[in-house]
Amino acid sequence: MCNTCGCQLTDTSDTRIVEVNKNLLEANNRQGEANRNHIERMGAVAINLISSPGAGKTSLLEHTIDALGTEMRIGVIEGDIETERDADRIRAKGVAAVQLTTGGACHLDAPLVHKGLHALEDQANSNRETAGGKKYDLIFIENVGNLVCPATFYLGEHKRVILVSVPEGSDKPAKYPTTFHGADLFVITKTDLLDYFDFSLDEADREARRIQPGLEIMHLSATTGDGFQSWLDWLRRLVA
Amino acid sequence: MHELSLARSLIDQILALAQEHQAKKIINVTVIIGPFSGIVTDSFCFGFEALKREQKPTREAALTLETPSPEYCCLQCGKTFTGRNSQTMPSRSFSADRPCPACGSEHCTTRGGDELILKQLEME
Repeated sequence: MCNTCGCQLTDTSDTRIVEVNKNLLEANNRQGEANRNHIERMGAVAINLISSPGAGKTSLLEHTIDALGTEMRIGVIEGDIETERDADRIRAKGVAAVQLTTGGACHLDAPLVHKGLHALEDQANSNRETAGGKKYDLIFIENVGNLVCPATFYLGEHKRVILVSVPEGSDKPAKYPTTFHGADLFVITKTDLLDYFDFSLDEADREARRIQPGLEIMHLSATTGDGFQSWLDWLRRLVA
Repeated sequence: MHELSLARSLIDQILALAQEHQAKKIINVTVIIGPFSGIVTDSFCFGFEALKREQKPTREAALTLETPSPEYCCLQCGKTFTGRNSQTMPSRSFSADRPCPACGSEHCTTRGGDELILKQLEME
């Protein structure tokens, strides 16, 4: 009805302002919460592993599975733009792995991980040992190699771990602050190469802690095993 | 590059709200992008402009961005202060552009600022 005179004609210039105040990522975050419930129903804690391509995410997982594979049930969701290569590397270690291919997208989002979790649960169900009850203790979600975009998307993980390898340079925390802002643990990998690259552990640590004071940091080499024990202990504490 | 998927989820939210409020047309969309949200505003606008044309209710929608100033917190004395609101996004600096105004320390960290919020819709 026309507001001016009550003439029963429909007012055509009826513009309304609606206050919304909703997070743009709400749909993703809601799915992330559902993922987290799903992960916990399977009896597990989940880690979102973020780094540039080639920082050593998959190698770290391979060595981790070698070390912890007999004491806990590990499942891995691999995110890549194309190919099953990373999932194949993990399966070769005798651990359940699901490959998610984003077909071009630069990050994993919660709806995609939702599919991955169901596939991972199916694998546990088809295994007589894990068919009933607890399916996994620890689930790794290896994000698409990218130090920028994955930071924005909550996947349902309990902890977010950022990797930077020595050849990439110690300026990475300063250059990619958003990613370090949301991290629970910062791991510097390939420390066996410190002699060959101009990488300052001090600079990397300092910059990361400037972005997030109190951030836990580890330095390790999966190849030589230096510092690897603290990573394993951190995982054991998480699962316990 | 993830700005495109964020613009997509913005359009999806707007369309759902337009339906809920039985609006035929969205006139203006106001979005708050925090200085440390990791969003490149130019790319976000580009994505919005491209995607809004796909659907009738959003075809003519204008996008208004609110970009609050960055806030910092001194790690030495705890004082919080506001940094310069540079219009030259993308990268608002995670380092404060001046030392702590209270104690002069260079050790300052960011405070909040990672918000990404659909604030308001104007529709008819």
